[in-house]
Amino acid sequence: MNLKSIALFALLAPAVAHAKLNVVATTPDLAAIARAVGGDNVDVVSLAKPTEDTHFVDPKPSFVVKLARADVLIEGGAELEIGWLPPLLEGARNAKLVRVAIAPGVQLLEVPVALDRSKGDVHASGNPHFMTDPVNGKIAAQRIAEALAKTDAKNTGTYDGNLTKFNERVDAKMLEWQKLVAPVAGRRVVAYHNTWLYFASRFGLKIDLFLEPKPGIPPTPASLAAVISRMKAEHLRVVIVEPYQNRKTAETVAAETGATVVPVTQYPGGVKGTEAGYVEMMDYLVNALAKELAK
Amino acid sequence: MMDAFQVMRWPLLACLLLPGLLVYLGLHIVQREIIFVDLALAQVAALGNCVAILLGYDAHDWQTYAWAASFTIVGAGIFTVTRTKNHRVPQEALIGIVYVVAAAFGILLLSRSAEGNEELRRTLVGDVLLVRPAEVGRTFALYAVIAAVHFVFRRRFHALSFDRNSPRSSRWWDFLFYALFGFVVTSFVQIGGVLLVFSYLIVPAVCGAFLAESLPARLAIGWTVATVASVAGLWASYAMDLPTGAAIVCTLGAALLLVGITSAIRHRS
Repeated sequence: MNLKSIALFALLAPAVAHAKLNVVATTPDLAAIARAVGGDNVDVVSLAKPTEDTHFVDPKPSFVVKLARADVLIEGGAELEIGWLPPLLEGARNAKLVRVAIAPGVQLLEVPVALDRSKGDVHASGNPHFMTDPVNGKIAAQRIAEALAKTDAKNTGTYDGNLTKFNERVDAKMLEWQKLVAPVAGRRVVAYHNTWLYFASRFGLKIDLFLEPKPGIPPTPASLAAVISRMKAEHLRVVIVEPYQNRKTAETVAAETGATVVPVTQYPGGVKGTEAGYVEMMDYLVNALAKELAK
Repeated sequence: MMDAFQVMRWPLLACLLLPGLLVYLGLHIVQREIIFVDLALAQVAALGNCVAILLGYDAHDWQTYAWAASFTIVGAGIFTVTRTKNHRVPQEALIGIVYVVAAAFGILLLSRSAEGNEELRRTLVGDVLLVRPAEVGRTFALYAVIAAVHFVFRRRFHALSFDRNSPRSSRWWDFLFYALFGFVVTSFVQIGGVLLVFSYLIVPAVCGAFLAESLPARLAIGWTVATVASVAGLWASYAMDLPTGAAIVCTLGAALLLVGITSAIRHRS
């Protein structure tokens, strides 16, 4: 088959087959869960790349096309995509699109009592980085399964079955993860940005010391000096940094304090070895942190 | 094809309607050898945005726009006063300094506000792909008014750029030129970002200068280049799924290369 006929086939395939649901997820973690729940009945794409800051996604023409053709849109919600998703949806004009947001089903943390921009880039509806808690991962799977069943009722059984399988896998892994972190419970980890509080509260860690003086504001000499002196005083050993954050800042702080930089990600594929899916990513995160803290 | 049109129709309309005035002003800018004045004015306007955000206004409040506009006028004033005949201090140097200092000052201000980072980023890259119909309409109306002013007083403005020793040129007209220019630039920056506005101003004008002598001929060439490059850039952005603004900038660059080669061959023969 030459290139032209492949292109033609790709163009016609949705019209001919039309068996699979077109699912668009805003972020790769939600896409991974949608794949697990949807199985062979869905085609899933993620708009954001795993190495991208999901607050700022560079819009491309294909995003509008994907949204125009999608049956189901899965969003995180809680203002995570507020900067870029609404204009894309406006451009796609997809009236039959079924939208499901995960945040309304989740107990959000850090919901501000009064919104005050002087505290930094604070989200009015709470911290939207809730997917690093596997319990919230299960909630996401539940809501995705409901949305798929609503759109594609004849395969409800399959989606329910896949959901059960996903939940069982997370539950089994959860016991393993709790065992891994038990010896390092209560330890403090330094992070670049405040994206890890759900992970920390689930696994009994403290991730409440940040290189940024306020969320979204780049580190200043004074804020770094404060972090360094606190790390020395408390003998903190681990700094975590995400793919799109400034690794050099983390490395400077680590060199100054004898700590180690551990690359982490909220999205499958953001760090090598996490490509396979949501559970694999959580597995990497727990293992990497537990091992480094135990040293 | 239908899909392509559906996705790209507003960016296409923006890129066909709006650069008309930019190309014309670009001829003035190139003639005056103040190439980077657009970047400097855009940066000064962005500084106004930063101040407004720091004062607690939202990026879309009218107060924010008022701050940006008043900063633009102050910038226009600076460039009017600094247009000297002193060749030891070229105006281009002062323009560069205004740009750098405005950018640095913006960073200082934004280090106190979190939202500002997004604002600064938007100034640079823009989002012509996601331009809203209302935005295209509003900007086009503004451009129509400014184009009318330029048309009515064309002799005055021509004297400023193309005949510097003419008795018609005066500081007041110079100031008016910069102020209008500032509004044109900053409103397009909201749509397309600094890179795109710079390219639409300078590349078609330089293409015109390569190929023709008279102003009308240069303008015709410039408009043709801008239109063809816009359509080609939007098509490339859709076909290869590239960031739209950057794709147009690169096609404009390619167009200049073609024009340059054509002109070189013509001069040799």
